[in-house]
Amino acid sequence: MTHYGMVIDTEKCIGCHVCAMACKLENNLPNDMWWNRVLTDNGGDAEFDMVGGTYPDDLKFGYIPVSCQHCENPACVKVCPVGATYRDPETGVVRQDYDKCIGCRMCMSACPYNGVRSFNWEDPQYHMDYATGSKDAPAHQKHVVEKCTFCYHRTSQGEEPACMRLCVGRARFWGDLDDPDSDVSKMIASRNYKQLLEDRGTKPSVYYLV
Amino acid sequence: MSDINNGVGVIDDDFNPAAAPKAREAAGARAATWGGKGLTVGIGVSAVITLIGIVLWVMQLSGGMVQTAMRNLDSWGLYITMFMFFVGLSAGGLIISSVPKAFGIKGFGGISKVAVFSSIACTVAAIGFVVVDLGQPVRLWELFAYSNLGSPLMWDIIVLGTYLILSCVYLWAQVQAEKGKVSHTALRVISVVALVCAVLVHSVTAWIFGLQQGREMWHTALLAPWFVSSALVCGTALVMVASMALRAAGYLKLDQAHLVKLAKLLAVFVLVDLYFFGCDLLTEAFPAADGMAVVDMLVSGPLAPFFWGEIVLCVVAAVICLVPSLRTNPLLAVAGVAAILAILCKRVQLLVGGFQINGLADYAGPLTPMTVTGWESGMAGAYQGMVYWPAPIEWGVCLGVIGLAVLIFLLGVKYLPLRPKADEQ
Repeated sequence: MTHYGMVIDTEKCIGCHVCAMACKLENNLPNDMWWNRVLTDNGGDAEFDMVGGTYPDDLKFGYIPVSCQHCENPACVKVCPVGATYRDPETGVVRQDYDKCIGCRMCMSACPYNGVRSFNWEDPQYHMDYATGSKDAPAHQKHVVEKCTFCYHRTSQGEEPACMRLCVGRARFWGDLDDPDSDVSKMIASRNYKQLLEDRGTKPSVYYLV
Repeated sequence: MSDINNGVGVIDDDFNPAAAPKAREAAGARAATWGGKGLTVGIGVSAVITLIGIVLWVMQLSGGMVQTAMRNLDSWGLYITMFMFFVGLSAGGLIISSVPKAFGIKGFGGISKVAVFSSIACTVAAIGFVVVDLGQPVRLWELFAYSNLGSPLMWDIIVLGTYLILSCVYLWAQVQAEKGKVSHTALRVISVVALVCAVLVHSVTAWIFGLQQGREMWHTALLAPWFVSSALVCGTALVMVASMALRAAGYLKLDQAHLVKLAKLLAVFVLVDLYFFGCDLLTEAFPAADGMAVVDMLVSGPLAPFFWGEIVLCVVAAVICLVPSLRTNPLLAVAGVAAILAILCKRVQLLVGGFQINGLADYAGPLTPMTVTGWESGMAGAYQGMVYWPAPIEWGVCLGVIGLAVLIFLLGVKYLPLRPKADEQ
C-alpha cells in the first residue's frame, strides 16, 4: 500500500511563498483562495512575515508552510454526511469530490487545522482572463469546500505535487511513507520532527523537520 | 401495557373514553376554523415575512454566500445557531405532552395538542435553518443517495426527520383518540416512542458539535445531556408563554394550577442547566490548561455579554418560578421569555465560542476577504471581539424561517382541532 506523505524542513524554508504561488497557479485557484499558505511562526501576535515576541531577548520568527495534512485519521472524512471528502484507499490522500459536496461545511468545523479548507463563498472569480496551471486540475465550483489535493492530478501521473518543484530552499520532500527506502521515510527516521496539533490524534501525513 | 394501565389507574390529562361521544360532538362543533381578524392578520404578516425570507435566500444563493458574514475561519453562523435553538424549542411541546401520557401521571390541562403542534412548527424551522445554511441545497437528495452513516450530521438528519413525522403521528393519534378511534394503549406507546425520539434528537444535535476533537469549546461528553436540559428550559418556557398567550386570546382555558406546575418544572430545568454549566466551567478551568481559554473567553472575553446574559436571565426565570408570591401572570410571562432568551445566549456562546479559539493561532498567515469575518483589522483585530457577527442578509433569511414557523403555528391554531375539549381545562 502506498501512503503519500510530505516532509518539510523548516530549517531550510526561507519563507519566499513560492510554493504557495505554485499551488495557486497549478490549480488555478480563484481570487482570495490559498490551499497552501506559508505561515509565520511568530507567536501569532504579529502579522505574517513579521517578527513576533519582544525585543531583544525574546524574538520569535520562523516559517511553517501549512496545507491539508492528509491525516491518517481525518476528522473531516468522518463527519461529511455524503462522503464528498474521503481518504483515497490507494494513496492515503484525503480527497474532495466537488460534484458531491452539499456545502454544509461540517468538514471545516471538524478540521483542527483551521484555514486549510476553503469554501467558495461566491462564484469563483479570477484576476486573469485565462485559466492557469494543469488542465487536469478539477474546475472550481461555487458554494463547495476545497483544499489541497496533494496535486492528485499530477501524482496519479507519477509527478510530484506542484509545491515541490520551485522550492528555492529545497525544503520539501515527497514520497511514500510506507516505503522505508523513500526519501521521506529516511528523513523522518534520521531527523527530529514535529507534527501539527499531534494531541488531536489526527495522525497527519505531513512532517516538519526541526 | 394495558394491564399496567389498569393496574395503576392512569389519570390521563385529555383522554376519557366515557366522555367520547360528548367529545365527538364538541370536536364536530370546533372542527371549523377559530379566530377573528387578529389571527388572520397574523397569518398574513407571517406569510409575507416568510416570502421575504425566501426571496433573500434566493438572493443569497444567486449572489453567493459571500453576502453573509461567514468565512473560512468562522464557517458557521446565525443559521446554525438558530438551528440549535429551534431544535431545543421543539423539545418542550412534545415532552410536556408526552411525559404525562407515557408515565401515566396527571398532565398540564388541555394544552397537550397545541404544545405538540408548537413542536412541529419549531422542528420545521430547525430543518429550514439547515437548508438555508447549505451552499448546494439542490444536492440535498444526495443525503439519501450517498449517506455516510458515520457522520453525526447524517444521524441528525435521520433523527430530525423521524422526529417531525412522529410528532405529526402523535398529534394525529391524540385527535383520533379523542374521537375514540385510537386506543389508550396505542397512544401511550406512541408517546413513549416520541419521548425517546425527543431525547435522541437533542443528543444527536449536541454530537454534531461535541464529537469534534478540533474545537476546545465543543469537545465535551457533557454536551449531549446539557443540550437536553437546555432544550427542556426553552421548550417548557415556550409552551408556558404560548399557552398564556392563547389563554389571553380566549383560545383555551388554562387552570392557573397547571401554569404554576409548568413554572415549577421550568425552575427545575433552569437549575439543572445552570448546574451543568457550572460542572463544565469547573472542569475546563481547574487544570488551568487549554480549557482556561474557554473560561476566559466566556467570563471576561468577547462572549462575556452572552455568558452573563444567560446567567442573569436564568436566575431571573428561576427566582420568579420558585417564589410563590412572584408567580403572577405578567411575571410568569417574563420568566418564560427570560428562559428562552437565556438559551439563545447559550447557543450564541456555543457557536461563536467554537470558532473563537483558533488551533493555529500561534502562526500568522495571509489574510484575504474570505479568511475571517473581520479580516480588514488583521488577524488579532478579527479575534479581538466576537470573531463572527451576522450580516444583514442573514438576519433577513433568519426572520423568514422564524416567520415560517409562526405561520405554521398560526395556521394550525386557525384550522386544526387543537383546542382542548369543553370538559377539560
